[in-house]
Amino acid sequence: MAPRAAQIQPTASSAVETLWKAYNDGTPNRLKFIDSFLFFLMLSGIVQFVYCVLVSSFPYNAFLAGFGSTVGQFVLTASLRSQVNPDNKDEFKEVSPERAFADFALGSIVLHFFVYNFLG
Amino acid sequence: MFPLKKLIILAVGLFGLTSAKSSTGNSVLVVVEAAQKDDFSIFFDGMRDQGYELTFRGPKEEAPLLIEYDEPKFAHVIVLASDTKNFAKDITPQSLISLTHLKTNLILGLSTKQTPLTSLASEFGLIPPPPGTPLISYFPKREEPSTLIPITPKVQDSAVLQSRNNHPIWFSGSPHALGNNPLLVPILRAPVESFASEVDGGSPDAIVDSADKGGEGFWAGSQLGVVTGFQTLDGARVTWVGGVDVFSDEYIQKQSSKRRGVQSGNRQFAHDVVAWTFQESLVLRIDKVEHHRVNTTEPRDQYTIKDQLEFNAYISKFNPKNRKWEPFSALKDLQLEFTMLDPHIRTSLPAVSGTPGKYSANFRAPDRHGVFKFVVDYKRKGWTALHSSTTVAVVPPRHDGYPRFLSAAWPYYAGAISTSVGFFLFSAFWLAGEVRESWKRPGKASKIE
Repeated sequence: MAPRAAQIQPTASSAVETLWKAYNDGTPNRLKFIDSFLFFLMLSGIVQFVYCVLVSSFPYNAFLAGFGSTVGQFVLTASLRSQVNPDNKDEFKEVSPERAFADFALGSIVLHFFVYNFLG
Repeated sequence: MFPLKKLIILAVGLFGLTSAKSSTGNSVLVVVEAAQKDDFSIFFDGMRDQGYELTFRGPKEEAPLLIEYDEPKFAHVIVLASDTKNFAKDITPQSLISLTHLKTNLILGLSTKQTPLTSLASEFGLIPPPPGTPLISYFPKREEPSTLIPITPKVQDSAVLQSRNNHPIWFSGSPHALGNNPLLVPILRAPVESFASEVDGGSPDAIVDSADKGGEGFWAGSQLGVVTGFQTLDGARVTWVGGVDVFSDEYIQKQSSKRRGVQSGNRQFAHDVVAWTFQESLVLRIDKVEHHRVNTTEPRDQYTIKDQLEFNAYISKFNPKNRKWEPFSALKDLQLEFTMLDPHIRTSLPAVSGTPGKYSANFRAPDRHGVFKFVVDYKRKGWTALHSSTTVAVVPPRHDGYPRFLSAAWPYYAGAISTSVGFFLFSAFWLAGEVRESWKRPGKASKIE
């Protein structure tokens, strides 16, 4: 087992390393910043979901609001990311990055309004 | 109209000596053959002493009518003409039934002959024997004929017979088996040694045939009734008497041939039967019901689920001695139901000690919204049926009726707040990053962390 793993390990780890390096080198800082926010939202959603399953879903509306806020924010942020990505310029010719951010901000404010209404 | 009625009641109360002890009225129509009228003089005098106004009418006489302009003319009707086959045209089984709908109380006599009343009796759940088969008993040994039977009422017989002494009730006439109608109130049952059989011209085959239909021992023993009451759903009371001679002067004055000096119990029996049938005894009513939340006094049209509710009922019993309704706390098995189609809650409604006539129950409204009813439904043999139903709505809490800021919800509050804070910081850095590229560094640092 050990020899085989040793044989495969270098190639697998090198693939991940290559991927990581390519991401670091080829991604604009602006998108990395968005990715960090997406990562935080994902972690927060997972923590809430695990807490609900393991501990209690008792104020169920509060769980739905908290979990829904992370999911909704994740979706809005992901759309922002695809709209400001320089690679997608051809897809969103009529949407400038400023317009994309304004859409994102407005959508988020509406989302948080509903979330706090539902939180109880 | 109403004050006039009250005035009349007041006047009747003032001239108490002439007023009846019944809770529903004092006019009585007695349908009896003119020739037999004198045979029942002690019975009639006893009723007059009670305050009843008797009007007599032969079974074939046209007047006075039982019902005039759809109104009953008498509060109570006694039909003692039990051998009559042809009545005047307004005395029919149908008109007697409509009298019970008009809350007129009836005492109806049966005999061993086939009369219109015999077929009516079977509509009331009584099963009359074939014609010509009186009740017979050879015990106890006595000089009287075997069809004249002394019956000593048993304790378990009925609540209708108020005074229990060992004076025998002399009876002769036709018994009846009792159907399974729950409205029947057995008042006096036949003795265990007695049986129905033919003596006066009945055919032995008929009784054998009908016994075959009903099973062995169908026309014998104490499951036969001789005097049986019936309380209609409208509250009227009907008493079927197997032989009207039980009310006659001869039986009331009769002394036992075996034991001289033992008075007959017929006088007291007649009194008890009249008292029950004419709504003097075992008459109850619900004066009022109230419902409210515990620790408040005002009733509400609607309650919230899981509210703690209190229900009170006030019950009176008619006291014939002073003709007054008096608070009555002796009911032990009263129940309250909180129903929406089915009873969601069924609880005992016990009497409150210290407040006569008050029954109270506390319970928590079910976790179910809808239109509910407080139902008190008390039906016991011999007693007036009590029924009360109050409709209330049970609703979920209002939007601001739920508990808020629960400690259990803080993880989720924290999640939602962190998302908002994250959005705010993200926007701030994003907008700042438009100006200076170096602002993006902290965002990258937080991601690695």
